[in-house]
Amino acid sequence: MAKVKIATDWLGGCAGCHMSFLDIDERIVKLAELVDFTSSPITDLKHPPKEGVTVGMLEGAICNTHNVEVARQMRERCDILIAVGDCATFGGVPAMRNIVGTAAALRRAYIETESTVDGLIPDSPELGVPLETVVAVDKVVKVDLFIPGCPPRADAFYYVLTELLAGRTPVVLPPELFTYD
Amino acid sequence: MAIVNITINGRNISVPAGITVLQAARQEGIDIPTLCDHPALSVVGACRMCIVEIKGQRNLQTACTFPVTDGMEIETESAEVVKARTMVLKMLFSERNHFCPFCEMSGSCELQDMGYRFGVDHWAFSTYTKNYAVDATHKHYLMDHNRCILCGRCIRACGELVANHTLGLGQRGSESMINADANLPLNESTCISCGTCVQVCPTGALFYKRSAYMGSDSEMIKVKSTCSQCSIGCGIEIITRGGNVLQIMGDWEGQANRGVLCKAGRFDPLYDGRERIPEPLHRSKDGEENISWAKAMQALAKHITKVGPDKIGVIVANRASNEALYLIKKLFIDELGVSNIKMIHTPAPRIEGKPHGTLSRIAGSDTLLVVGSDPLANQPVAAFQIKRALDKGARLIVVDDENNALSPFAHVNLKISDIGQAVEMASKSPSPVVVYGPGIPAPAVDMLKGITDRANFIAIETGVNTCTARALDVNKGFKSEAVELLLVLLGDGKCGGVELLKDIGGKTFIAVLAGYASELTDKANLVMPNAIWCERTGTLTNTEGRIQTLQSAVEPANGAKSDWEVLQMLAAKLGKKITVSADDVANTLATAV
Repeated sequence: MAKVKIATDWLGGCAGCHMSFLDIDERIVKLAELVDFTSSPITDLKHPPKEGVTVGMLEGAICNTHNVEVARQMRERCDILIAVGDCATFGGVPAMRNIVGTAAALRRAYIETESTVDGLIPDSPELGVPLETVVAVDKVVKVDLFIPGCPPRADAFYYVLTELLAGRTPVVLPPELFTYD
Repeated sequence: MAIVNITINGRNISVPAGITVLQAARQEGIDIPTLCDHPALSVVGACRMCIVEIKGQRNLQTACTFPVTDGMEIETESAEVVKARTMVLKMLFSERNHFCPFCEMSGSCELQDMGYRFGVDHWAFSTYTKNYAVDATHKHYLMDHNRCILCGRCIRACGELVANHTLGLGQRGSESMINADANLPLNESTCISCGTCVQVCPTGALFYKRSAYMGSDSEMIKVKSTCSQCSIGCGIEIITRGGNVLQIMGDWEGQANRGVLCKAGRFDPLYDGRERIPEPLHRSKDGEENISWAKAMQALAKHITKVGPDKIGVIVANRASNEALYLIKKLFIDELGVSNIKMIHTPAPRIEGKPHGTLSRIAGSDTLLVVGSDPLANQPVAAFQIKRALDKGARLIVVDDENNALSPFAHVNLKISDIGQAVEMASKSPSPVVVYGPGIPAPAVDMLKGITDRANFIAIETGVNTCTARALDVNKGFKSEAVELLLVLLGDGKCGGVELLKDIGGKTFIAVLAGYASELTDKANLVMPNAIWCERTGTLTNTEGRIQTLQSAVEPANGAKSDWEVLQMLAAKLGKKITVSADDVANTLATAV
């Protein structure tokens, strides 16, 4: 049987969810026998392959136009999209900037910070343009599964992937793995 | 009582008529989720979590407000109900900021529990974009409107339990906010800092500053004890983590208070900045020396034997436990024959031949006569009960020559000399209750005896444990002049300073058992560390005569000991076989109180 292809990527997040995923420890070896990790921010190949993958996982919130592109590309190239972590499922810490507004948040971060001298808000054309409102991934593309948690427990990743491999679709995590923080 | 037959989820059950669907379900052990409901508060149907399907009703109905009727068929877990409930929950999450990771109450939040229960693993609607100001002006607690679900528990606690009516709902519709008075900052409002609103808040909208970010419910240890701040003896829960006292909560099962506390009970002990006494200390003209408990007992026993019973004086602060007072009686009065003993507070006079009731009598009274007592200033939880009765239409007559904190709420304010008029007014009412304290002069006591036989009397003592002191007849009268050995059991209260040494001769050996260092301990020849309120064990008798337990929530600091433990050690040192147990105390008081 061909291996199931999995791709991951991150948006406006802290990489903590990916770290937690790696915390499944030696079970990743067992998992690697069944799945093929095609691409991720922590492998050489960064983008999901054009021919597509079965499972796509996204960490982080939608904060700028670049995040929107990445989310859309992942959605197009995967069958099952999983929002991973509190930022991807709820907006999380990045969404706290909605309380003051993007312009004020950028000004505070790059110009008004006490340690900043001659501050400048980055505006390189290579960068994504910050959105007015930070949102969860499901507000931009259709999401099939949510794994909340900050970060989600390693066991939650393992549970969801083994369930999917067994041909079952977990609707909601079991209580011991379901956490908002 | 009439019984109706109803069906819940296909189960036929019989319940009393007039109760709500929610009460009926709970009687049968059927769990209906709620958020705004609280057992100590009235029902409002604000959160809509308890909606159920009732056959014949056009819409889903809130179980907490809907009374049962005969033949009613109720479904609490039908697909439609669960779907609607989940929708309600999603809407609650969509309004304001209910993102858990940086909320103080994460892990101790009823909204979060509901989210887990109904599998809310993402937000169906867009959420927090509007920021509300956090009111951090209050010294003891914080109000974060962003976490509020407008369940109104705090409003009901403030009005119904404390009868203070500071909190209310301001504005309308989506602009609705919890307001203090006319939308004032909490520290400028009429808030009396009782903290009951915080105790009932289901989310992180109201939380204590002292314990903020120090752990969630599951990490805390809760110990039930009794407040020793005044004679009401409120039931408390001492909440600790890692040996640190973080919170004091009112015990909902506390008979005198039913969950409510005042500022002095809930907050003051947590902010006590006084210095503790590290270990027993001996002070003489040769200098100061830290000594062991064994040596301290030896020194004290030596002086007791040397000076003899006529030259021993004992002063006991009103917080002394029943066990300590029992031992004082057995050891000092009965065994040693000491008669120079006094309590710091004098008891209220007994009004002979009149029925004395418990505080619960206040609720059923239509006319309250307060005399010789200022409960709102000194025993606030009793005053809350009086104010609650006023909200229900009772009249209040305050008789006091000084400023009484209850005066602004009184229908009639009279001087002590006019007590006859008060007695006459109260006698005309169907169910008068007289609340009186030690401040009542003897002539007024005689006048009170003339009140109608329908009247009930409630004595509110000023001293915490005065009831036991009176029952054991510990207050023998005190003459300073002859004292050559003075033993002061000071406890952890703030009363009893150097003024106790008035007329005490310069050569007197002074031994003090105290929780905290003070001017008095600075002058003492022997200082012994006393376990404080959260450390000590024993029992107290409250102003109603109820014996209540003190539980130790943390280990006594630096080997401090409870008052009765010290007296028991002293008795052993003196070669007297005197011990005390809970049964000794209960039996002695049962015959005396």
